[in-house]
Amino acid sequence: MKLPRTPRISQLFFLLLFLILFLMTEYRGSDRIVAAVNGFFRADPLTAVSSMLAVKGYLPLLFPGLLVLALSLILGRFFCGWICPLGTLLDLATGRIGKLGPVRALQGSAKYWLLFPLLFASLFGLNLAGLFDPIAILLRALTFFFHPLLGETARGGWKSLYGLIGDRRDFLDPGYHLLRDYLLPFRETLYPLAFLSALLFFLVLFLERYEKRCWCRRLCPLGTLLGLVSRFGPLRRVPAKLCPDCRACREHCPTSFDRELLQMDECILCLQCALNCPSQRVCFDFRGMRPEAGPVMERRVLLGGLLGGFVLARTFRFREPEAKARMLRPPGVRAEGEFLEKCVRCGECMKVCLRSALYPALLQAGPEALYTPVLVPRLGYCEYNCTLCGQVCPTGAIPDLAVGAKRREVIGKAVFDKNHCLPFAKRVDCIVCEEHCPIPQKAIRSELVELTGFQGEKLQVKQPYVVSELCNGCGICENVCPLEAKSAIEVFAVKDRTPLPPPADAPSAPAPPSQPGGAPPDPYGR
Amino acid sequence: MERRSFIKLLGLCSILLPGSLRELFAAQGPVVAVSQGSDHAAAARKAIAALGGMPRFVKAGQTVVVKPNIGWDRAPEFAATTNPAVVKALVEECLKAGAKKVKVFDRTCNDARRCYASSGIEAALKGMKNVEVKHLEEERFKKLALNGKALKDCELYGEAISADVYINVPVAKHHGLSRLTLGMKNVMGIMGGNRGSIHKNLDQALADVNSHFKPQLTVIDATRILTAHGPQGGNLADVKVLNQVIASTDMVAADAYATTLFGLKPSDIAVTRTAYQRGLGEMNLDRIRVVKA
Repeated sequence: MKLPRTPRISQLFFLLLFLILFLMTEYRGSDRIVAAVNGFFRADPLTAVSSMLAVKGYLPLLFPGLLVLALSLILGRFFCGWICPLGTLLDLATGRIGKLGPVRALQGSAKYWLLFPLLFASLFGLNLAGLFDPIAILLRALTFFFHPLLGETARGGWKSLYGLIGDRRDFLDPGYHLLRDYLLPFRETLYPLAFLSALLFFLVLFLERYEKRCWCRRLCPLGTLLGLVSRFGPLRRVPAKLCPDCRACREHCPTSFDRELLQMDECILCLQCALNCPSQRVCFDFRGMRPEAGPVMERRVLLGGLLGGFVLARTFRFREPEAKARMLRPPGVRAEGEFLEKCVRCGECMKVCLRSALYPALLQAGPEALYTPVLVPRLGYCEYNCTLCGQVCPTGAIPDLAVGAKRREVIGKAVFDKNHCLPFAKRVDCIVCEEHCPIPQKAIRSELVELTGFQGEKLQVKQPYVVSELCNGCGICENVCPLEAKSAIEVFAVKDRTPLPPPADAPSAPAPPSQPGGAPPDPYGR
Repeated sequence: MERRSFIKLLGLCSILLPGSLRELFAAQGPVVAVSQGSDHAAAARKAIAALGGMPRFVKAGQTVVVKPNIGWDRAPEFAATTNPAVVKALVEECLKAGAKKVKVFDRTCNDARRCYASSGIEAALKGMKNVEVKHLEEERFKKLALNGKALKDCELYGEAISADVYINVPVAKHHGLSRLTLGMKNVMGIMGGNRGSIHKNLDQALADVNSHFKPQLTVIDATRILTAHGPQGGNLADVKVLNQVIASTDMVAADAYATTLFGLKPSDIAVTRTAYQRGLGEMNLDRIRVVKA
């Protein structure tokens, strides 16, 4: 067996890291998440550039991305050949895929036609780069498709095992619990864009049918951006051209040696040519003469990109009012515009959401908001004491708030529908919403009302009402409403998302006992 | 007295006698043990000891379910969930009495992972041998026919039904609809399906379930009680520290006594009243023997 060589070791390491971080992007018994897959996005130059263009300012969280970009100026596209987990997957799979040869349409400046409209759209305030970011493509495929599929399958099997052998299944508990605690998603969640996410991933994989690393070389906006930068760097392969007596590099190079001259903006530094050179002539150094590389691109690509970006940013804004009223954003998001500028649509918040309350928007928020997170209270609510989505958001589109501050953030406001609500419509008791309202002073309250029943009898019924000033729109009321199908209380979006006032009389946590001579023993045995 | 009137009186007495005899010789009213102490684990042990000790309920080799209230994502001091020290003391007593396995679980309202962690119960029982603290698994719910007044049937948790001994360990607290939630209502933590829908006839529905499924022992945690904004509270101003633990084999009697801690009468609570009327237990305080431990 051949041992993996340097770039492959690095690739496997980062792929493994990516998968481990993916699994760690989940509640594991602690209020804070130690490490999440957001690190990959913070080190992603495309995320950094597009987000900073969109907000037109510096985002400290994305500094690592700028660092990688600066390193690429010196080292070239090392990210693609050594780090990118999607690239690694392609490298691992490509050996099993027969090649048909390059596609004409993807040659030339196709990649710039993808990158530039995206970057210019960012400049005009619409940050769509995440849709085609390779790491986001991989993460969304994992989050929305592969992981739920794994969970569904494993749990389905586990459940049917119970049907077969009943309580004797308990003997297998330890093994299953290991699987459940470390590998499976906590609950089976179906996501609306699972199909599209998988499709995009398989499309990238399918391109391997034409040539090695076809996506990376011909389309990937991240790779194209890094390639643009690396053109101007000092790193050169020696010799720059194919040697007339050998030409083996053509076979080994996954990217650009189908021409005579190695294109540094396509070279991913996989070192295959150096490692496989029969006469060991190939090396990479920083002194090499700058070879003639041809024009970066035509002017019309740049202008076309500018126009494309402008059109994208201006025409994708349509929203239906009914859908807009239900556009509930994660806690801490106060302004829709700023959110769209920063959100990279990576799907991490939806993966981590404790109650599976966040779902990727399809078209209800207009095409511009595709894949951005929307809270759907009927499916899951925002857990009062949970701050995970803000913790994992790579760009701070969802702010990372302390739990006390997050509880006061307004997602929307709850409104009763008295035509459905049992105490009004059927004149019976219910109050499940009040029971679940997490606000200590209760944003849902009830009043005891004397009514005449439908048979003419005297009744006393508790009828609920919302105290809007206290409601943070967490949606638990809508989630637990015992009516089938439509809930009798619904959370609607509000423009003014000023946080609730701090509870003056309700300390969020008890003051720790401070007594001289040591604290008294904890009565709750902790 | 004339002979005739004497015989009349005798006759009348003979009619009344069976009733009074029953009162005289029948088993005395239920015992409710009430213990007090700022060491809550010790208080729980004392209450059990006053009822005759855990071996009275748990025999060697039995499987025991200890069912606390872990319903909400709140720290123990907020009195929304059962005191972990009380739960742990009970679990230890069960093990001491020879229980083969003690299972602790609840169907939570907030996220189960957070509730188990925040309540302190998971941590308190961590690492104990033969103790299981598991989340509920929906496939384990079993449908039971009740043919009750409000509920035809209901789903109850398989591991609760199949246990040899079931110990009901609610926390005493305020509730928006039923005014108080105590032992009777704690059964909702092993109910499956759409629990919220039973709220429309809560007292009858709870009597239906509890007449079918009877815990051997009810231990009410009143170490601190939630007096308002229940059942999940969240404000320490609503919490009153009482340092009491109440135990009884008669769930209704335990509930009745606990009601007095809130300054209410047992008959004020519809759930308790209905349970009493349907013969599930004693609610009249003068017929309950309170043993202070």
